Amino acid sequence: MVVFDLWHKTKYKYEHGASFCHNLATLKPKNFKGQELLDYSLEISPLPTEISEHVDFFGNTVATFSIQEHHEELIVISRSKIARDFNAQVSQEDVNTRDNVTVGDALKLLKGVAHDIIDARQFVLFSPLISKTTPEIKKYAEVSFKPKRSLYEAAHELMQRIFIDFDFVSGFTNIATPLDEVMKAKKGVCQDFAQVAIACVRSIGLPARYVSGYIETLPPEGKEKLIGTDASHAWFSVFIPSHGWVDFDPTNNQIPKDQHIVVAHGRDYYDVPPLKGVIYSTGKNDMEISVDLRPAKESGLQQQTQKQ
Amino acid sequence: METKENIIFENYFKDFSKYDELLTSELTIKADWKSLLDNLLKIGNKELASKQSEIDWLLAENGVTYNVYNDPNGLNRPWNLNIIPFIIQQKEWELVEKGIQQRSEILNLVLKDIYGERKLLKNGIIPPEVIYAHRGFLRSCDQIQYKTAKQLSIHAVDLARGPDGRMWVVNDRTQAPSGMGYALENRFSKSRVIPEIFDNINVIQPSNFFKDFNQLLLTAAPDHKDNPTVVVLTPGPHNETYFEHSYLSNFLGYPLVKGNDLVVRNGKVWMKSLKGLKQIDVILRRVDDAFMDPLELREDSYLGVAGLLEVVRLQNVAIVNPIGSGVLENPGLIPFMENICKYFLDEKLILPQIASWWCGQEKERNHVFENLTSFVVKKIDRSQRENIIFCEFLSKKELKQLKKNILSNPNQYVAQEKIYFSTAPNFVNEKLEPRKVLCRTFSIAKGDNYSVMPGGLVRVAAEREKLFVSNQRGGTSKDFWVIGEENQDQLQLYSWNKTSPNNIISINDVPSNTAENLFWSGRYVARTLLTARYVRMVLNQMTNVQYTNRYQSDSEGLNILYQSITTITSTFPGFFDEDKSEEMLKTPLKEIISVIIDEKRIGSFAQSLQSFNGSYYTLRNLWSKDMWRVFDSIDKIWKKFKQEKNYSIYALTKFFDQIITRLIAFMALTEESIMVKQGLLLYFIGLQLEEASMTIEKFRALIVVTHDEDLEYEILESLLSSHESLNIYRYSYKSYLSIENVLKLLLLDNEYSRSLTYQISRLQKDISKLPNNNVNNEDTNCQKNIEKALSLIQNITLEDVLYTDDKSKIRMKLDALLAELSDLFHVTSMAISDTYFNHSQQQKQLVNRNITN
Repeated sequence: MVVFDLWHKTKYKYEHGASFCHNLATLKPKNFKGQELLDYSLEISPLPTEISEHVDFFGNTVATFSIQEHHEELIVISRSKIARDFNAQVSQEDVNTRDNVTVGDALKLLKGVAHDIIDARQFVLFSPLISKTTPEIKKYAEVSFKPKRSLYEAAHELMQRIFIDFDFVSGFTNIATPLDEVMKAKKGVCQDFAQVAIACVRSIGLPARYVSGYIETLPPEGKEKLIGTDASHAWFSVFIPSHGWVDFDPTNNQIPKDQHIVVAHGRDYYDVPPLKGVIYSTGKNDMEISVDLRPAKESGLQQQTQKQ
Repeated sequence: METKENIIFENYFKDFSKYDELLTSELTIKADWKSLLDNLLKIGNKELASKQSEIDWLLAENGVTYNVYNDPNGLNRPWNLNIIPFIIQQKEWELVEKGIQQRSEILNLVLKDIYGERKLLKNGIIPPEVIYAHRGFLRSCDQIQYKTAKQLSIHAVDLARGPDGRMWVVNDRTQAPSGMGYALENRFSKSRVIPEIFDNINVIQPSNFFKDFNQLLLTAAPDHKDNPTVVVLTPGPHNETYFEHSYLSNFLGYPLVKGNDLVVRNGKVWMKSLKGLKQIDVILRRVDDAFMDPLELREDSYLGVAGLLEVVRLQNVAIVNPIGSGVLENPGLIPFMENICKYFLDEKLILPQIASWWCGQEKERNHVFENLTSFVVKKIDRSQRENIIFCEFLSKKELKQLKKNILSNPNQYVAQEKIYFSTAPNFVNEKLEPRKVLCRTFSIAKGDNYSVMPGGLVRVAAEREKLFVSNQRGGTSKDFWVIGEENQDQLQLYSWNKTSPNNIISINDVPSNTAENLFWSGRYVARTLLTARYVRMVLNQMTNVQYTNRYQSDSEGLNILYQSITTITSTFPGFFDEDKSEEMLKTPLKEIISVIIDEKRIGSFAQSLQSFNGSYYTLRNLWSKDMWRVFDSIDKIWKKFKQEKNYSIYALTKFFDQIITRLIAFMALTEESIMVKQGLLLYFIGLQLEEASMTIEKFRALIVVTHDEDLEYEILESLLSSHESLNIYRYSYKSYLSIENVLKLLLLDNEYSRSLTYQISRLQKDISKLPNNNVNNEDTNCQKNIEKALSLIQNITLEDVLYTDDKSKIRMKLDALLAELSDLFHVTSMAISDTYFNHSQQQKQLVNRNITN
């Protein structure tokens, strides 16, 4: 088990200021077996006039807040303390059933009406950013997803292939870049890889969902880790009937374990942007994000370091 | 009688093949229609034709329109109502009514369930894809529940009579169903134009239904608030049913607002009004689900209110119908309705539905594919308006493509059996003709049940053999009669809001957008009228010169007038153009015509008229019918005038004569139709401000510079005449025109309504009646500036304004006064705008995701 301190700061600067804003923040890490949220706070400056929290359709915690005074910049900082224990999440017994379900079995089982199946079936459907199946996607998926093959293995191989075939290039894509373009260029960032994988799994008729969260990065050997160099991260999750959801990180070619912190689930990025809002302003705005995720030190020390 | 019948039925039996409302299968008239037919025959086909055109005229005159997006004929296509009603007997209707109530209740329970526990999905009653693949299912609305007894408040069902003689359900409309207002106006028009058609027939009136409707809005308020504030939310004048939005707002007595009139603060919804913010409790919305909140729903929407969904979650506002109810407009539900009905109510469906197969299930899809040509295929959501595919008309290639489309996203498609619905008689070219009809019925939540409008709106296919019925694609409508046994009361014409006094009663509560539009309406109508009068005066003087050649100074006098047109309309360089002015002054008509009709020219008459049109149109919920009539006739005169080829002085003058009379009528109607507390005060302020400003421009153009006696006489005459003050002058002074007296009358008189002093003092009074939002009630900037103007003009003497500089021949002090007043008017206008109008900065997304779905 590892206990992490997580710090995520987003700063917006408005060229001519904003008179008013309404925002949604999906920043609070989830609680589930294997991930426990020990402490959480959301600091917003200027102080919001109102703030409330609700659990959304996908079970994520969303904070709604608004600022009603004129402001030049908006700063949102979320701080969390999280205990992560992958061993508690998945047992050996689980692993055996997980590996035995074939793609063909899964397709058959998905016709059922058990509650978890009914719930999972919506993740087979198209979603705002993954709104069609192209022949390229389907072809790419079919290489791994053969009816008699273990679904877990197939998804694992898909993750590997994306890791090998796609280049991590930031700046090439943005939120609105269509999937076909990512597929064609074979480059992008973690979001794109997650969404390509989801599109592939869905093209077979299987449920896949988007996971937003964080990953701990380790400094080069012998160097101290710099503050704020981590980033928001995203990966995908596949539903294996009679087992449950299994996460895959195609950007790092690994099964997310104790270094991955889960914040939210959705059909694709559209459902879980960390921060979105409607502002009333003219002119441009600039955004700055920094994230820091590291094992918790003695209490208090971490805070001090950051303030220096 | 026999012959009359022959004439009116001449073509009715031709190619008669299917089920008809009027005829039995033996081609005899059904007993139900006998009374109506007697009345029709008594009236006679000639008279019917003339009544039909009277109805057409009345609807156009009353401004009953149906906008069609991108219609080449522009906005405001007139609404069509056929003189022959659609009838149904009360006995049959009672069963239909029960069926509608049952269906409303089922959909209400479905709505509650799918945004709540989702038992229907968990228990396998509906495949989850029928809901989850429908764009109308808004995940952001999950778990939002209303405190009202019913979640679904308004439900419209389209019905048509099937081959078995029963009324069948064709569509459900649940987001913001349109048609109630049209149905009501249809009934009003009919009763007015052709009351004799109702003879001996007891048509049940919808009076109680509309009372229930009003009650529904009042009781929807969270926490059963007394005297809740209700508003009607419209997407704006370009929406297809905008007429109805303003009609209902007017009829029910609730303000009509657009998204940007509302704002979310402190977890509540507020309307921006003249005196700050006013809390809103109930929103009757005509904006579609996805556009209601750009924060949580469609990010590119400017029609909604950012943050609204959170207020709904907090139960601080009620939306009628709830956001998210569009998911029920879903033909994918039809195949499961029988089971849903059994599940919730343990009953059978009363109203039959069209046999439908949802393609998301393999077995059903295969059934559809086996005999595709016999089906009608639809999508489960209306992303493309009423996109219905009649497979029988498709080529082999098209059928293949359709199969491919279905397979690529089977959850999206539903196939329906093709049904031949009944036809009903329609009056066309003095004869009856059978046409397909579709009846829209309305049902609203009332306590524990639903109240159904007796009748509704019947829409008629555009052509004899059309299968398809819709207003979006043109077509006509019918009054829908439910005929009872007992005598019926008259339809009540008053607003149904008698029991609870309207909350919006003071000038403080006028929405700031409305206030702004009223202010500009006042300014533009004044500008349009004064420009028209001024140019007409110049044209008259030109005619005088042509025919009388009275004075030596003619050409010089006219030149001053021509140039004054440029000054007053601000259409520089105009007659001051250095290169061309000599030429222009010789043949002035060309430039004058351009100042009149060039819509692209800033300051032109055409442009003022356009702005006048624009600002007034957005206020049409405040209009009386007479206003619409006059507005329409101005529009017609203008359109006709623009098409003329040669503009003689005579033709131009005649045009202005017509326009001026109507503008004055329109202004008088404005003043009597809109109450001061509804915002008319702003209209007066705009009007006076514009009149005063233009008066200044006239003085500047005509009397700041002195002229020799003859010329001055002529100019003074022109000034008085453009000011419509010549008679008053003669009456007051009974003398030769002198500059002293003219200035006394037009500038300094305290009591004459066209004098500048009077106008300014009226402005000062009106402005002081505007809400004062300052702490300690300190004078507003608007007040300060106009008071300064008033004291300036009150403190100047006749000697001062007459003072002429010997060298320059200019009335220096008058000139200085006019310049100062003009500046003060400008800052007053700005101060009004800053203090009272809506200046929220532009709505933007924090992160622009460019996602449109």
